[in-house]
Amino acid sequence: MRCLSLANTNSQSVDRGLSFIAWLGVLLILGLPLLGLIPIFMVGLQAKAWQLLWSDPQFLPALKLTLFSAGISTLWSLILACALVFLFYPSKTWQRLQQQLPIFLAIPHAAFAIGLVFLLAPSGWLVRLVSPLFAWTAPPTWLTTTQDPYALSLSLALTLKETWFLLWVMTGLISQEWLVKQSLIAKSLGYSAWQAGWQILFPQVLKSLAWPLLAVFAYGLSVVDMALILGPSTPPSLAVLAWQWFADPDPIQQLKAQVLALVLVGLLVLGAGGAYLAYKFLTALWSKPSGRRQRTSVIRFLSPWFSYLLTLPFWLSLGLLLLWSLADSWFFPQIVPSRLGFATWQQAELEPLLMTLWIATCSVLISLPLALLWLEWGKQRQAYLYLPLIIPALPFTAAQYQLALLLKLEGSLSAVIWSHLAWVLPYILLVLTGAYQRLDTRYLLTAKTLGYNTWQACLYIKWPLLLRPIMAAAAVGFAVSVAQYLPTAFIGGGRIETVTTEAVSLSSGGNRATLAVQAVLQALLPLFAFMTATSLSRWYARQHPGLN
Amino acid sequence: MHFRNLSLVSLVLVSSFSLTAQAAEDWAKIEQAAKGQTVYFNAWGGGENINQYIDWAAEQAQQRYAITVKHVKITDAAEVVKRIQTEQQAGRTSDGSVDLIWVNGENFSTLKRGQLLYGPWAEQLPNWVNVDTKKPVQQDFSESTDGLEAPWGTAQLTFIADRNKLATPPDSATALLKFAQENPGRVTYPKPPSFHGTTFLKQLLLDLSTDSAALSKPVDTEQFTKLTQPLWAYLDELHKVAWQQGKSFPASDAEMHQKLADGELLISLSFNPNEAASLVAAKRLPESAYSFGFKKGTIGNVHFLAIPFNAKAKEAAQVFANFLLSPEAQAHKADLKVWGDPSVLLANKLPQQAANPSVLPADVPTLAEPHASWVEALEKEWIKRYGS
Repeated sequence: MRCLSLANTNSQSVDRGLSFIAWLGVLLILGLPLLGLIPIFMVGLQAKAWQLLWSDPQFLPALKLTLFSAGISTLWSLILACALVFLFYPSKTWQRLQQQLPIFLAIPHAAFAIGLVFLLAPSGWLVRLVSPLFAWTAPPTWLTTTQDPYALSLSLALTLKETWFLLWVMTGLISQEWLVKQSLIAKSLGYSAWQAGWQILFPQVLKSLAWPLLAVFAYGLSVVDMALILGPSTPPSLAVLAWQWFADPDPIQQLKAQVLALVLVGLLVLGAGGAYLAYKFLTALWSKPSGRRQRTSVIRFLSPWFSYLLTLPFWLSLGLLLLWSLADSWFFPQIVPSRLGFATWQQAELEPLLMTLWIATCSVLISLPLALLWLEWGKQRQAYLYLPLIIPALPFTAAQYQLALLLKLEGSLSAVIWSHLAWVLPYILLVLTGAYQRLDTRYLLTAKTLGYNTWQACLYIKWPLLLRPIMAAAAVGFAVSVAQYLPTAFIGGGRIETVTTEAVSLSSGGNRATLAVQAVLQALLPLFAFMTATSLSRWYARQHPGLN
Repeated sequence: MHFRNLSLVSLVLVSSFSLTAQAAEDWAKIEQAAKGQTVYFNAWGGGENINQYIDWAAEQAQQRYAITVKHVKITDAAEVVKRIQTEQQAGRTSDGSVDLIWVNGENFSTLKRGQLLYGPWAEQLPNWVNVDTKKPVQQDFSESTDGLEAPWGTAQLTFIADRNKLATPPDSATALLKFAQENPGRVTYPKPPSFHGTTFLKQLLLDLSTDSAALSKPVDTEQFTKLTQPLWAYLDELHKVAWQQGKSFPASDAEMHQKLADGELLISLSFNPNEAASLVAAKRLPESAYSFGFKKGTIGNVHFLAIPFNAKAKEAAQVFANFLLSPEAQAHKADLKVWGDPSVLLANKLPQQAANPSVLPADVPTLAEPHASWVEALEKEWIKRYGS
């Protein structure tokens, strides 16, 4: 009896200790910068700052552009991701898409944007491909395919990229038993998979998609690197404007940048509110289905092309990045380079690559255990953990920078890793939470009944069972760290060079071959992480048959 | 009498000798203190040839002076100015993150006015004697340098074209407009407030304006409206026939070069008279590429090196700047195969270079920069008119 109560207090103190670590970690990573945001947001109280912003001629058109590109890309990526699921799940095409999914997810936004420019620009590969037909010796002047004034190319790039993010989120959702059963019943009642998908599954998964969709919208609002590469410049999007103003030594521009950061947050709240109303409206609309079975022959006829339409841009972009990195000289209208060589690769600096590898590895090694501790011993549902995914990256990074300055840590590797954690940790949590909550609690209960304390039950039962999502989360965290530009540039004081900062600073330099090399490296690193994660979990599954 | 004269002469001799001896001793002290220091050199990192040159110079500094130079590749010097300001506001008066910065114009004047610079030091460098003081090395956009920055290289606005596509280049702003009207969609300029975009605006302003004296004084509203009126009228016409109908603009000169190579544009521009030659050597432009200027001349200036007030390695920064001013380093920098940035030294201190058809002809006159205050006014008005 005494023995039992002793073990009990012991395990309680272990629990308390672990809970303390989880809270401390989260506070250090997310709490501190959030506090640092307060002075930035205090600016919103100054009427003068709002007047300044309002009187800037770029503000209103940029606002329209930003709302358009972020809104339309969120909407379309939702529609396209759902369409992919309803058309192809489960089929051979679905499996093929699933095999390609990690690759598309892993390609950083900047690298994909650069590849798309190589593909779509007026002097890009597509125009080169058709130029012999029209006898073009120079790119046509009437063509505006990238950096168009309506931000269509930016929206397209965001849509393509985020479709795969949402598809990945949905992959986790649709394999749930009750959804599979429901669609089976619908099919047995004569509904096509397409109609059942939109009328039965869609309203139900939409709720679980709320957070990912908000993250997609927030990303669209605050993206800087992609907007610089593909977006218009007269005016640029709001995030680019804020970025330029933050970098301006003029205090007036600084003020405008801070208010603009607030505006971005306001837009997000507005967007979320609008989406919620739309959701309510749609569910009300769908609550009385007509019961008509739609014919889907046209959709079935088009569907094979549809999947290629979404995968081809990625493969072509990647191929062009590779080709450009090997091109020795390549002028318009040549379809392939006149000479190939490894000269650019030989001159490429490898230090940024190693630095990126190191920062990303450290970020994951800190975030992953912390995320697991948090899910078990912290509080599982805490919306503010996801704030960094939703607050535009600029003010958040500015707050981090102020803190680093105070602690005299700016320019140090540890501070850069710390700044990355603010994005890596939430993304890892985002990936893990669903799988974590879905796991049958009876496993843990049984383990505890048989004498394990919570720590042991997690270590020997729960975490091994969750190995696949844990590895996936690690890979996502790695990819997120690799793609970080703003925190690396700000907190690193320019002293810490990663493949991403290299690629962005080279993108203002214009040598496509060198740019392509850095973009290829930027894409390869996360790819490598996803491959490692997959093969590790496969290996583990082989060692432990019966696990899935 | 004779005796007194002699003594006076000897006194002057001795004192001047002891002055140079004193200077040499001071410099030896600086060199001694510099040993083992690390210089964080904040310089634009968008040009590979420049990056490679800085790497070379860093190696030399390590070998000769035991100084470690780290090139902090930045995209815009304004960001660094911002960082130094933030450091000052945060009370960081020593151990700053920047030791040496590549700077000129507006950014220099911001740094100088904010008392964010260390010095004067530039004119005490041993290699200052080699500097060609007839070049504007003591004036930076009509702002006196006061020894707070050391010259590093010179620059002049240079247009680039392909001889196979454009045989006789336009030699004035008016001729450029005519050319653009004959070749719609093939002429543009980098978007202001990018450095090259604003320089192009200043070039047009100088070429179109009748009163260039007013431009070298601080800008005032009335003057601005009057003097810039021809510029906006010109741009309204140009944009009608420009690339993408003037609705969008390339982000940088480098993007212009790429578009020239692609055939999207017929004219590109650079602030380096040797840029075209370098680009041909790097196979990024066809061999038929050449440089040209306007008949009245093109705008030119000097770019500098400055040390922030809170730099950690002030001594090593000076030693490195002194090395960069040496005839050897300047000649290497001017080498077209290396960087191709023209030197600030007296011509007789440097080896002669072979003539290259791609570089800007020497007979294009250099026009002085307008006063630094014009930059912001022009950029603001441009954004108001064409920025959205």
